[in-house]
Amino acid sequence: MKVGLEALADLIPANVRAVLQTQSLRVGRPVLGRAFGHHAAARAGPGLDFRDHRGYAPGDDLRRLDWKAIARRDRLVLRQTDSEDDLTLALLVDGSGGMGYGEGEAQKFAVARALTAALAWIAVSQGDPVAFAVGGTPLPPALTLKPRRHREALDSLGQQLRNHRPDKTIAWAEILTATRLMLPPRSVVIVLSDFLDPVGSGRAEDDLALLGELTHLKKRRHDVVLVQILHRDELEFPWKEQRAFRFVDLLRRRPALEGSALGLREAYLERLHAHLTWWEESSMRHGILLERITSDVALPEALIHLMQRLTGHRRP
Amino acid sequence: MNLLAPLALLAIGGVALPVVAHLLGRQPPREIAFGALRFLPTASAVVSQRRALRDLPLLLVRAAILVAIALVFARPVARDDGALQVVAEVHDCLLLVDGSGSMGLRHGRSTMFEHAIERAGEVLDALPPGSRVGLITSDPRGPRLEPTAEPERIAQALRTWQRDGAPRLGAWSLADALPHAIALLPNPDARPRIVYAIGDRYAGGLGALPERVDDVAILAVPAHPSAPPEHVALMAATWEAAPDLDPSALRIRATVRRFVAAPAEEDTREVSVALTVDGEPITRASVVLPPNEDRTVEFTHVVQAAGVVPASVRLEGLDGDPWPGDNERPLWLSAAHGFEVLVVNGDPSELRAHDEVYFLTTAVSATEDAVLDGIRVRSMAPDQLEHVLRKDGRSALEHVDIMVLANVRAPAADISPTILDAVRDGMGLWITGGDRVAAQDYNAALDEVLPLRLRDALEVGTAPGRERALMEGLAPPDLAHPVFSGFADAGGLDGTRVRKVLLLEPDANRPHGVALSLTNGAPVLVTRDVGDGRVALLTTTIDRDWSDLPLRPGFVPLVAGTLRWLGGGAASRVQPRLWVGEPQVLGNDKTFVVDTPDGREVPARPGSDGVARFEDTMQPGHYRVHNGDAQQAYFVVEVNPTESDTSAPAEVRTGALPEGTGVMATPRWRIWIWLALGLLGLETVLRRRAVT
Repeated sequence: MKVGLEALADLIPANVRAVLQTQSLRVGRPVLGRAFGHHAAARAGPGLDFRDHRGYAPGDDLRRLDWKAIARRDRLVLRQTDSEDDLTLALLVDGSGGMGYGEGEAQKFAVARALTAALAWIAVSQGDPVAFAVGGTPLPPALTLKPRRHREALDSLGQQLRNHRPDKTIAWAEILTATRLMLPPRSVVIVLSDFLDPVGSGRAEDDLALLGELTHLKKRRHDVVLVQILHRDELEFPWKEQRAFRFVDLLRRRPALEGSALGLREAYLERLHAHLTWWEESSMRHGILLERITSDVALPEALIHLMQRLTGHRRP
Repeated sequence: MNLLAPLALLAIGGVALPVVAHLLGRQPPREIAFGALRFLPTASAVVSQRRALRDLPLLLVRAAILVAIALVFARPVARDDGALQVVAEVHDCLLLVDGSGSMGLRHGRSTMFEHAIERAGEVLDALPPGSRVGLITSDPRGPRLEPTAEPERIAQALRTWQRDGAPRLGAWSLADALPHAIALLPNPDARPRIVYAIGDRYAGGLGALPERVDDVAILAVPAHPSAPPEHVALMAATWEAAPDLDPSALRIRATVRRFVAAPAEEDTREVSVALTVDGEPITRASVVLPPNEDRTVEFTHVVQAAGVVPASVRLEGLDGDPWPGDNERPLWLSAAHGFEVLVVNGDPSELRAHDEVYFLTTAVSATEDAVLDGIRVRSMAPDQLEHVLRKDGRSALEHVDIMVLANVRAPAADISPTILDAVRDGMGLWITGGDRVAAQDYNAALDEVLPLRLRDALEVGTAPGRERALMEGLAPPDLAHPVFSGFADAGGLDGTRVRKVLLLEPDANRPHGVALSLTNGAPVLVTRDVGDGRVALLTTTIDRDWSDLPLRPGFVPLVAGTLRWLGGGAASRVQPRLWVGEPQVLGNDKTFVVDTPDGREVPARPGSDGVARFEDTMQPGHYRVHNGDAQQAYFVVEVNPTESDTSAPAEVRTGALPEGTGVMATPRWRIWIWLALGLLGLETVLRRRAVT
């Protein structure tokens, strides 16, 4: 294990850690990093992959002259290669109360925490800077949104993931605005949330506002990835008895609802699927990648699937 | 207000049950912390809150039901002067329920009988726990249950009895049924013994009951506390021949009475009375009825058909009469009355002219009187009469219309009651004097029917110092007397000389009439009405021994008139009249067939005593008897007019309770039963609305 990664070890299940050894963070398009890295950049620079030739100009490094090409063209040309830059990865984790649903490893926040740690582990291990925010109330410190690649950043991330308890709502607008300001262009922004009730208001306007903020990120040429983590109970609403149920809002925004689960189920599922469909269609329309994960699935496969989608090798 | 079973109030603690059931039934909801609350429809929550609010009245209603039920079982009673009073301590009792026809009188929305059943239910409810209760009714065919600790059996028996057609005509009076009730009420535990008599408040009902019989207290429970409604009854319908009008003419009299519990001054009502003969309406008359007084309507009808024809007198225009059962009375009418005359010859003689009844039978055969046309005369000696009566009893006189005791010593003491019964039932009795008559024996045997008590015979015209008796002449007859109905004058009795007569004891209190007397005032022919029958007493002989009356031209008319008058009571005996339920004796050693008013033919076979009786007389109307012979008999069954009498509500006594039997109480829990039932209905409505 590389230096600093041990800070996240306890947050990543063992089977996921085994997978991490074989995975690398790749994106299906050129990056535009600030430092040398392992990702093909959208500009010429030091690298291994041939890009093109250009004429020599005084001051150019003579070591880059392509003698075979000079022989063919009878003039001095330089061999250019694609630059390899680093890739800034921003991990925005929803730490609101809604993510606290589920028990043990099936808790949505636990899944988000494991994925965040794993992604950060991969990024740091390949030298990419990581910015992160574990959302909730109050707002996470802005310092964490500054991309960093050294050990202290991982320590801070690990500490926040470890100490955070899902509660209340999350101020997506502030977090996404800060993210937009702090990240270099062409970063990868991965948002881990359930996207069920972003700010706890239940209003469609707030869904649109969140989508607008994400679209702004996309316009800044960031890759925006939405990892929607849902619990199976939320997808299937398994309570079918006639008896009364009392649903308490994890977001602590609404009064508790009481009624027959059987009577509630049909309307719930109908509304939920409409909401999920809206997110799917909206994401596709704005070029945002949406990956839906059920909290009881095997995390290694979920992680591999996510990595493949990042590279563009797999469809949803 | 007291409680007979106060421990039952502990059941009020059960009020907590619906509260607990309510809370349990509400089922605390399973709580789930959920993040996707925005997708749950909020309407359900609102419904839930509203249901909680609506359940509150449901809870209150259920609690009220339990309180009402607990109060019912606690058996609250009121120690007041209410009409229904029940002994409060444990006792043995019997319900004596009036099931007579008059209980069919409609009083308010229900009949008196239905009120009585309701009152019986209240008594059963009010009995202290542990009491035993039995049941007897004034209906001989009604239920009879020995005391039991299960009042529900009594209630069931009453319901069954009511379903089987009670009340009905022909039942006993409560006074008649009381001894049966006492006999059914044993006293093994020395408990207080009570008879709760439930019936109407009239003299023939509760008013006839004593307050106590030995140690048994009689508690009167009026079926209805208030005065009965006004009603009109046809009390009687009789007829007799009217030969003064026409040989086939009949006088039909109907007695109508209007019963008013609280009459007002000048309160009259006009009622129509109709006569129907052989199914055809003949005539109709109106009569104005004052309260509680009899009014008689007389019809005259000439019977055209031979034989006996059914007729009826009916009150009309009495819609809404509370008891229509007494608005019609049946009659059998006949213009030809073949009188059966039984002559008991006290001084028979082989020489016909010396026979006691020679002149009588000769006169009968010589008469051209239309009424006496077809008269049949039988003669027997006194010992033969005694033998027959001792052997056959009352049935031996069943077809005898007139009995003549001619110079008979006196009926024996053991047969005289039979003769008295026959007279009261309509038989005519003619007693003629003679040397064999024993005055004291007559007085002892037939005192009840004699016009005047007999004394010794007296030679008329005798006086101190006179050596030879003189003959006494007859005074002019009293032509107003019915015996001489149709007579224009003395009719040939002038010059009659009487030598000897039986003296009579003057008695102003004894109702009688003198049809014929001597010139010295001594009565010769004295008459009296007894029940439906008539009695004539000839103080001289019917032969020539004491007078020359048989030799006079007026003798035959006198005999005819006397027999016709005596047979007047018997005339209607063409149709013996029975009250509903009374058996009719048909005859000996034969099987008869009785045609009933409803068209049935009912055989009546001789019983173990050889006498055929017909007992199925529960239906008023015309009955015809035949047995294959050409001769037929007829009788009618009528409602006993005492059933109709509601004019004199008796003062209902509360009964004399044994000492130490405690106070009496009026049950007050029936209202709680109704309240509980009402609340149950309300609870059902509320529950359905909550589920909806």
